[in-house]
Amino acid sequence: MAEFYDAQLGSLSHTLFNTALVAYLVSMVGYFFRMAYTRVAADGSSVSTTVGRRIGQAATALALAGAAVHLASIVLRGVAADRVPWANMYEYSSALALLAVLVGLVVLQRRLGLGHLMGFVLALSIVTMAIGLMLYTDPGPVVPSLQSYWIQIHVTAAMVASSIFMVAFAATALYLVKDTAERRVAARSGSVYGGSTVGAASVTSEADGQPDDRLDGDADEARYASPLAQRQVLSPVLFPLVPFAVVLAFVLVVWRAPVAALLAASVAALVGILTWYAVPHLPPAATLDTVAYRTVAFGFPIWTFAVIAGAIWAEEAWGRFWGWDPKETGSFFTWVLYAGYLHARATHGWRGRRAAWIGVLAFVALMVTYYAVNLFVVGLHSYAGV
Amino acid sequence: MTETIERDSAPPAGQPGPGPRLPQILGPIETAQWLWRRLRRMSTALWLLFGLAAASVVATFIPQEPVIPTTVESWRAGIEGPGPEVAAAFDALSLFDVYGSWWFMTVVVLLFVSLTGCLLPRWRAFVRSVRRQPVKGRRLDELSNAVAYHSTRDPEAALAAVDEVLRRRRFRRRAVSADATESGDAQIAAERGHAREGGSLVFHSAFYVLLVGILVAQSFGFIGQVNVAEGQTFTDTRISYDLAEPGPLFGLDAHRGFSVRLDDFDVGWFPDGTPERFVSTVTVLEDGQELRTEEVEVNHRLEHAGMNVYQMRFGMAPLLTVSSGDTMLYEDQLTLSQADADTWSGVAKVSVADPQIALEVLLVPSFAVEDGEVINRGPAPDEPRLFANLWVGDLGLERPVPSSEFDREGGERVDAVELGEGETAEILDGAIEVGFSELTMWSGFQVGHQPGRSILLASGVLVLAGLIPSLYAYRRRVWAEARPTPEGSRVVLAGVALHRKDAFDDEYAALADDVAQALGAEQRPVEPGEATVEPGDVRSEAEEPTR
Repeated sequence: MAEFYDAQLGSLSHTLFNTALVAYLVSMVGYFFRMAYTRVAADGSSVSTTVGRRIGQAATALALAGAAVHLASIVLRGVAADRVPWANMYEYSSALALLAVLVGLVVLQRRLGLGHLMGFVLALSIVTMAIGLMLYTDPGPVVPSLQSYWIQIHVTAAMVASSIFMVAFAATALYLVKDTAERRVAARSGSVYGGSTVGAASVTSEADGQPDDRLDGDADEARYASPLAQRQVLSPVLFPLVPFAVVLAFVLVVWRAPVAALLAASVAALVGILTWYAVPHLPPAATLDTVAYRTVAFGFPIWTFAVIAGAIWAEEAWGRFWGWDPKETGSFFTWVLYAGYLHARATHGWRGRRAAWIGVLAFVALMVTYYAVNLFVVGLHSYAGV
Repeated sequence: MTETIERDSAPPAGQPGPGPRLPQILGPIETAQWLWRRLRRMSTALWLLFGLAAASVVATFIPQEPVIPTTVESWRAGIEGPGPEVAAAFDALSLFDVYGSWWFMTVVVLLFVSLTGCLLPRWRAFVRSVRRQPVKGRRLDELSNAVAYHSTRDPEAALAAVDEVLRRRRFRRRAVSADATESGDAQIAAERGHAREGGSLVFHSAFYVLLVGILVAQSFGFIGQVNVAEGQTFTDTRISYDLAEPGPLFGLDAHRGFSVRLDDFDVGWFPDGTPERFVSTVTVLEDGQELRTEEVEVNHRLEHAGMNVYQMRFGMAPLLTVSSGDTMLYEDQLTLSQADADTWSGVAKVSVADPQIALEVLLVPSFAVEDGEVINRGPAPDEPRLFANLWVGDLGLERPVPSSEFDREGGERVDAVELGEGETAEILDGAIEVGFSELTMWSGFQVGHQPGRSILLASGVLVLAGLIPSLYAYRRRVWAEARPTPEGSRVVLAGVALHRKDAFDDEYAALADDVAQALGAEQRPVEPGEATVEPGDVRSEAEEPTR
């Protein structure tokens, strides 16, 4: 058998991958520092101190450099294997992480001006890359069913949509945290808080044409008068503990690797405590909710296209559009949940926290569809496993 | 499904309004009305969507009979899975065939009923609102997006310039003469963004197209599977398929009757033993005439007469002979299936008459002996070695399927033989001669007729074409009013967005700049004292509802 891939290029690509990972890690720390030096005013506008801005600029530069190195790693991988470099889970995780960083930089930082939240996006990317590392395989050719130009269309679309959903998830999760804090502060200060409608009040206008300014002044003041109060109403114990326990259990059950599990769980705990610390620095819940909605609305048509393209490819390769193969089922499930999220956002009694929980569930479904179905469920898409 | 805001349902007709409410039994009509109202609610639709989602979770983690029937069988038998009792419970709820179950169908039907209930009134309202001329504006100065210009042009010329700007920005416009407006000034009413609701309606309606496509595909479609050995031919008739799933409206006479001959089968291997590429070279024949020769492989099908032939599986097919004296008992390419990573196995039905004779075959593709043990060096058949057991007795071979199984209990293994390619051997003290003349390959095809492809494709296109504007387009109204002044005119430009106000703010700013350029006048905020409508003016009369 002929040489299947260029081993040297493959290992160079992997070195670059690791370099990018380190760059992201340092950049993430930088972004979290930037966040700590950023004060968010009542109207959602944020001001960074000079130190914060400098650190932020360095973090952005580092994230960009990391992304460039990462891109080089992916291109080299493609050259080494002589095909699209996202045909197995390691490669897909790598490309997904890069796209998430890029979406974060372009959409979150540039377009929406919420650059100080990039630390969370980088954290998600780093986790994705770490999982990719555990699934590392040498570059090699793919099974016959993947040898089609449809891999460029279907898989790329799925990947782009996933990376956008990743940013959406960060916004949704932060919204839930911030909203909880805002509610509790309002409840403690004894002011009448508008309940579920408030979190979304300034956003709902989009759907029903109501005026924006429905927040009543007292609650407003109560929420922003003391940002530190928002930290006090949330438990500094539960915030690191819950992610720690969840990740520990997950990795132990799935990979049975206690060291990796402890490491991953510690990172999760760190992100948890950072989230707790970040609460006063987050933009108002309503803003986060809008960010989440817009990113989902951005990713959803792309995901829809990915599913449709998948159906067309399936018809071409296997002779049927849809066979309820686990992967197909999973992507349909994800689609339904994101569709549900978008609908819930336009329905009274659902928008706000309820819709956000659907968004969280949809992202979990996306991850299950990607990881669990590939790794644990036997189906036609199993070839893509690892 | 709708962006309609839910209200608490109004009390049904005939029910007293306020006052003490007594428990009341609803009549059949009231019940139906109540159900219909409930079904049309967005939250009902959401719950139904979640029902669909829940069903797909179940189907991901419980093996589905139409997808992997063998696994389902072993769950039922308790070999795999949580045990036969649980499997029986699953069967009762048809959890092994979620997508064919009554409850899944119920959810789908309810979802479509709910969709219809939402869409019909929305389509009606949409058509009405598209037909309606842009609505007149009132009290423009009070709107949050409003600017004023002092132009040297007269009102008519100024409005014409604004109209041109709006035309270029693709607004639907309507000129309102001065005597028809509330302020008494001439006005242009403009509107844009019906694509939002229109897109949403197209997106949701596309699911009916999808449904029709699925129904057509399932009713008139056909899927069959057939395994063919090299040199052999299969014909497109119902009986030649090993497995056939015709739609209820795909009759026996709907088959095309053409033949496909497998001329050659090629497979390359990766070092890890998985196939790199496999290609069937086939010739299409009609009435014995050779029409064309093509290569069929994964991702490259053969299309003929509305039927598609897909490459699915493949395997080894040794040409075996079994003879007794001068009588040839068996001569065929036996299709073997992969037993494990290293071996292929199958059973040749040598004699179905009493006593039944079967040859149980095991093939090692790349045979070698290492430390006295038989090993397989690789997946490619460069040193095929065949191990055969001869069984005689009541083996149950008369049963049509499955061909590779036989009843070991009913008979006994009388002899065994080991053969290389091209070898023959005598067994049972020379009574029977077994030959392995040649190793050929077999190829497994799926043959399908898939009508409704264009309908399904159209539904996909409509879903996307509707989805994108429904998420990004937004409705907005813009008005311009011009009042004569000594220098020329004072123009007020005002706008309101019904959705995506933030996006409209940007658009409005750009529009205001364009208008400033067109009028050659600077824009300035509307000053409070400058209201176009004097207190106690026309406002009191003819209060036209804006809706």
